[in-house]
Amino acid sequence: MKKLIFILTLSFFCILKLSSNETAFISTYNPQDSGDIFIKNARILTGNGDEILKGSILISSNKIKAIGKNLLRPKGSKLINAEGKWVTPGIIDIHSHMGVYPAPSLRSSSDGNEATSPVTAHVWAEHSVWTQDPQMPLALKGGVTTFHVLPGSANLIGGRGVTLKNVWSRTVQGMKFPEAPYTLKMACGENPKRVYGNRSTEPSTRMGNVAGYRKAWIRAQSYKNKLEEYESKSNEAKELEYAPTRNLELETLVGVLDGEILIQNHCYRGEEMAVMLDIAKEFNYKVTTFHHAVEAYKIADILAEKEVCAAMWADWWGFKHEAFDMVWENAAIVDQANNGKGCAIIHSDSSVGIQRLNQEAAKAMSAGNRAGLKINRARAIKWITLNPAKALGISNQVGSLEKGKMADIVIWDGDPFSVYTKTEKVFLDGLLIYNKDDPSTPKATDFELGIINSEGKRL
Amino acid sequence: MNKKAFFFIITLAISFYSFSNEVLLKNARVHTATELGTLENSDIHIRNGLIYRIGENLSSSSAAVEDLSGKTVSPGLISPNTQLGLVEIGLVPETRDDRSEIYSAGLNIDSAFNPSSTLIPYNLTGGITLALTSPSSSGLFSGLTSAFYLSGSAQESLVKSNIALTANIEGGEDSTAAKILLLEDSLKVASKIVRPTDFELYKSYLPKNISYSTRDIDALKKVVSKEIPLIIKANGASDILALIDFSNRVNINLIILGASEAWRVSEQLSEAKIPVILFPIDNIPSSFNKLGARLDNAYLLNKAGVKVLLGSQETHNSYLSRQGAGIAVSYGLPWNEALKGLTKNIANVFKLGKRGSIQEGYIADLVIWDGDPLEVSSFVEGIYLSGRKQPVENRSMRLKERYLKK
Repeated sequence: MKKLIFILTLSFFCILKLSSNETAFISTYNPQDSGDIFIKNARILTGNGDEILKGSILISSNKIKAIGKNLLRPKGSKLINAEGKWVTPGIIDIHSHMGVYPAPSLRSSSDGNEATSPVTAHVWAEHSVWTQDPQMPLALKGGVTTFHVLPGSANLIGGRGVTLKNVWSRTVQGMKFPEAPYTLKMACGENPKRVYGNRSTEPSTRMGNVAGYRKAWIRAQSYKNKLEEYESKSNEAKELEYAPTRNLELETLVGVLDGEILIQNHCYRGEEMAVMLDIAKEFNYKVTTFHHAVEAYKIADILAEKEVCAAMWADWWGFKHEAFDMVWENAAIVDQANNGKGCAIIHSDSSVGIQRLNQEAAKAMSAGNRAGLKINRARAIKWITLNPAKALGISNQVGSLEKGKMADIVIWDGDPFSVYTKTEKVFLDGLLIYNKDDPSTPKATDFELGIINSEGKRL
Repeated sequence: MNKKAFFFIITLAISFYSFSNEVLLKNARVHTATELGTLENSDIHIRNGLIYRIGENLSSSSAAVEDLSGKTVSPGLISPNTQLGLVEIGLVPETRDDRSEIYSAGLNIDSAFNPSSTLIPYNLTGGITLALTSPSSSGLFSGLTSAFYLSGSAQESLVKSNIALTANIEGGEDSTAAKILLLEDSLKVASKIVRPTDFELYKSYLPKNISYSTRDIDALKKVVSKEIPLIIKANGASDILALIDFSNRVNINLIILGASEAWRVSEQLSEAKIPVILFPIDNIPSSFNKLGARLDNAYLLNKAGVKVLLGSQETHNSYLSRQGAGIAVSYGLPWNEALKGLTKNIANVFKLGKRGSIQEGYIADLVIWDGDPLEVSSFVEGIYLSGRKQPVENRSMRLKERYLKK
């Protein structure tokens, strides 16, 4: 009996390991050595607020080794003269459904919404990802090197999101951003209440939504207490009872309460965001980002004070009532709140929009400047680089061009804040995976092989 | 009142109102959307709602002068494919007035057009002065398109009624082939019907689940007589070829909407003189009919001599057709052709009269910009509709003013 208990206890610890996701679904992303690459004469928007004219970047073994004005090119490094070009960090889209709502859009691969119950914290978006979605290389051509895939918004709590490197891979593990924290999708407003209200089940109102979140967090708290109570026991005492049964749903929610899983909350309206912040206070967790925050400008000071990011479109509106109060200056107002302490992000939620987040940022920046806010390119580029990196918990690795960070770099043929500008080269961890002069890049997905592609060829 | 009389009275009303309204726009960069291209440091003299003179150093003792140094003037942009005035909130059915299950081809939406819709001043301030508004019924026929000014005026919005019929051949359970056959049968039957009672003789050729009321037959007859074009939504290259054959068989004026793979059959389209309405921003292979979607579609079609009209798929942001035009330029479409795709080509294809370009004698529908009209960072600073200055004002701007902390 004792032996059995011992084994059970052991297995419980294994399970605990599992639940903290150290053994299952780990990233196998492992780029080959990039060697040394020296980019010179570039106009660089660093992503951390600076602009360098005639700047150089040295890439060495997948990382940025140096960036600055007067760097010396090491012997043997591959030279790229970026005279007349602009350079930015790889673009990061914090809101994508590539892979879970792939193209072609078919019912058989629409895997983004487990719309069978309002709380599905147990599902993980990565388990739906089709790695051969042809939308991914299109996004890469738009400079997107990292994207965050979320479950849809049918549910109050939709499941875990996953941060992916935009690289061709046979497995989703091969795309997973190394050591990126998990995220949890929550959704406010019209979508959950429409989906479940239409079935005459709870929630059918916004107050029903809020009750639904709170009920879920109460269950999570109680599970967390149970786990902690068991953990606090002596080894002898543990031998005398079974460990709490694993619960996929509550493990994820406890991950949020423990600060390990970041909340990415779909929420349009100002008052709903304020309510969500109070729920976070009630259960002692943090909302990292409000997504689709069309009304963020109405509560920009509150968001800045609580250090919550808002991910926004430049100009989408009107498709739902909660998207009716759009202003072009939304991102700029959020950015400038509390003397520039706001965290503004431009996101896509669209396989069209993800291809030109730079243009969306340009629209939002221009609108802000026109309204008298003073936002330069060096700052606005953060909306699609460093700020989403922070909100995804990966800013120690990407989001700005700084020594030691991953060499995710885009070379543009002109000002990235212009409609006429295109990417010329995209580096992912120092590897040139898109080069406009090389038609074999980006690598075609399996799907595209043997059927007519956008260049009119059979690949 | 018949349509012509109605149109005449409206034109008269506009002319009368603007009679005293004489304006001289000075020192602007003028994008004419004609073969003249762009005129630098140019003046435009507006009189009686029309462009009276264009040139340098014009003067007038009677006109109000507006100095546009550093500004750009373009023709008012025309949106070729919208539900403007019919839709307020996409997902809220009670705010949509754009569908019918009673009528099919004959649905005219003029009376549903709401000039006070919030989308109208918003898109006007985005640079769209005139919109082609179509119903979006989901059957084979969506209904008839009309052209409206985005003036917000209850009396003067309608510019031209029933200017095209739209049909859908993609989606649904039935094969595309069945839908093309049905289009052909519908037009053939319509061509035989002289009196309403004739329909009894031919109705066995047509299915029962689509409305072929006299009103619907009348709309089809307008297509048969080439009084109006038939717009068909199609994307696949082979579908487009089938439609070219179809239009030759039935001898109609065809326009292809969407046309993602049109570049693959650009020569055939050019030869058949079939214009296309493109959404140049959409390169997603979202269906097996669109695997060949590409961003230089507009460039390749224009090069082959196809008349290209540029639109936006989002009614709420109809004005973003200009961003799509900019993207098409970055993929090779000449800038002036892109502007024509937003203006002149649309006016020509839909026979909207002297609109869509800046020429003497043309209606003064003009937009003043702070920069390049195709650039995402440019904004509208002034609008003239038939020579009358419009406020640059919308609900979104009021919200911004309320919340912007200066």
